[in-house]
Amino acid sequence: MEFDNSKPIYLQIVDFFYENILVKRWAEEERIPSVREVAMMVEVNPNTAIRAFNHLQDLEVIYNKRGIGYFVASDGFTKVLNIKRKEFMEQMLPDVFKKLSLLDIPFDELKNAYNQHKNEKE
Amino acid sequence: MKEFSLSRIGQFIRRDITIHKSTFVTGLLVGIVLIFLFCIFNMMWDKQLSTDEFFGIFGLIYIPMGVLFTFSIFKEFNDAKTNQLYLSIPLSIPERLASKWFTSTIIYTLVYSILAIITGILALLFGIVIFDADFNVPSLFSIEYWNVLKVYFLVQPLFLVGAISFRKNRIGKTLLFLGILVLGFTFFNFFLFGIFNHNHGLFSGETLVSEAFDKTTADFSGLGRWFYGLLLGPLMLIVAYFKMKEKEV
Amino acid sequence: MLTIKHLNFNYPKSRSVLKSINMNFEAGNIYGLFGKNGEGKSTLLKIMTGLLFPKNGSCLLDGYEMGKREVQSLQHIFLVPEDFELPSISIQSFEKVQSCFYPQFSQKQFYELVKEFQLSPTDNISKLSFGQKKKVLIAFGIATNTKLLLMDEPTNGLDIPSKSQFRKVMASVVDENKCVVISTHQVRDLHSLINHVMILDNAQVAFDQPLHKVSDGLWFGKPSSNDPTELIYSESSFGGKAIVPRLDKNETEVDLELLFNGVLSAPDTINAIMNQTQHDERV
Repeated sequence: MEFDNSKPIYLQIVDFFYENILVKRWAEEERIPSVREVAMMVEVNPNTAIRAFNHLQDLEVIYNKRGIGYFVASDGFTKVLNIKRKEFMEQMLPDVFKKLSLLDIPFDELKNAYNQHKNEKE
Repeated sequence: MKEFSLSRIGQFIRRDITIHKSTFVTGLLVGIVLIFLFCIFNMMWDKQLSTDEFFGIFGLIYIPMGVLFTFSIFKEFNDAKTNQLYLSIPLSIPERLASKWFTSTIIYTLVYSILAIITGILALLFGIVIFDADFNVPSLFSIEYWNVLKVYFLVQPLFLVGAISFRKNRIGKTLLFLGILVLGFTFFNFFLFGIFNHNHGLFSGETLVSEAFDKTTADFSGLGRWFYGLLLGPLMLIVAYFKMKEKEV
Repeated sequence: MLTIKHLNFNYPKSRSVLKSINMNFEAGNIYGLFGKNGEGKSTLLKIMTGLLFPKNGSCLLDGYEMGKREVQSLQHIFLVPEDFELPSISIQSFEKVQSCFYPQFSQKQFYELVKEFQLSPTDNISKLSFGQKKKVLIAFGIATNTKLLLMDEPTNGLDIPSKSQFRKVMASVVDENKCVVISTHQVRDLHSLINHVMILDNAQVAFDQPLHKVSDGLWFGKPSSNDPTELIYSESSFGGKAIVPRLDKNETEVDLELLFNGVLSAPDTINAIMNQTQHDERV
């Protein structure tokens, strides 16, 4: 895994989890890889991986079945969706708005671009 | 935790033999060929191979080759690229020393003796057929054989110390050291001899006196041989122990 | 687990290589030992393995002096030296004759690692490249399952895919009973593995902190121009990265290279901030 230097590695691992849950690679109530497996997968110190697991457990995205392993919570998908939406609205959008005004792009143009993108995808 | 375990010594001997297998095999093969050739040359001369002559040849190869073996199994110990790994193997110093000593004396002597006797017998059979030589099987129970062994077991610890102590030109330096040691002892003995026998007028330079000198020396050396034989070997092994203990990479 | 106290060392007829070193290594961590060339990293690892003897002070593994080279301490430590030579025998024979000295050795693990490193047990070691020999020794060192595993520049001589293999392998072997110390100057290869930084400079310990404390106290990155906090260290190159006190800023990943350069140029400022953070935590 390539790491971005500006963000703590454990949060980047958390993002990796989010992505897997959002694209449904890891379904709800499904067992996810162990700390050791994740550490190996992303080539990090197991302590860093544990920190990511703890963070996700605190947010109740995953839970631990003693002796068996970690599972995605039954409402894990919704939780992640909310977290990522909030993150997008609070962190990414202000930047986009700032760029829009800096480059003087009218909102309608943005709307058109968005619709076009959506059509292409369909 | 036991700091002296026979099983670890055994494992370490196995390790030494596995690692140096090719050196050992080559050395022994060269030795066999040389013994065979020397035996044949010897029989060409007088149509016989006496026990005396055979063990002369035996010792001529046995001792230098043993010394070379001793140096080769300590190569790892002094080479900067290998000694870090070697010294960090979990093995106590007495275990290291015991296994190296056992490999370079007991095992070497056993293997070499058996091979040498077989080669000797083969050479003898060859001699009987070709030169019509006398039949005289070299035996491991002859006094000549044990005399050769005694010499090796006496000098080997000294070379062992040399192999441990010197990083470069180990054989040359050990020989030099041995030379100095022998010279030192000779002077020392001569000095002692002079002190104890001064009043007999031994240093007047007459032939008769000189003969007496020879006789006394022989007598004295008999005593000395016991003294050095019993002391020098163990003493050198103790020196080797401390040299190993203080060895740093 | 391994404790170094007031340790001094110098080679015969030369200046001090290590001066009054105090260090403590605990299980469950991967320590990164950094320092410029010739700052005594290798020397320290050799002393820790009992291959060199300290002139003063002590180096104890669970209370036993390493310099005595006793079986019971040597069984708990394995050193992968920077430069070494292995016997000219097959990987398999090497395992057979050498593994018996380590009570916790796992044959299964060794051959799995050998396979992971794309080597075959029947390969003769003398025919391998240096990087491959290094992999054999790393695999062996891991499989000994010693409490302490010391590695001197382990990624030197490894190609790029092997470095990634190495990180994967290391990430899988560390558990709460094992302590790994990696000495390196190739910070980039290993920054995701290390969770405790030790920096040697001028023959002394210039820095010794767990990474989570570092990211609590310091902030790494490109500060905005109107940020009033004082720069502790900055690199003037394009996109100039800098270290500033974190205060209430978001946590950033520790940039080890930046930290290393920062410690070398302003050790006192950085250590003062680290101590301050620790003090705050205690309060």
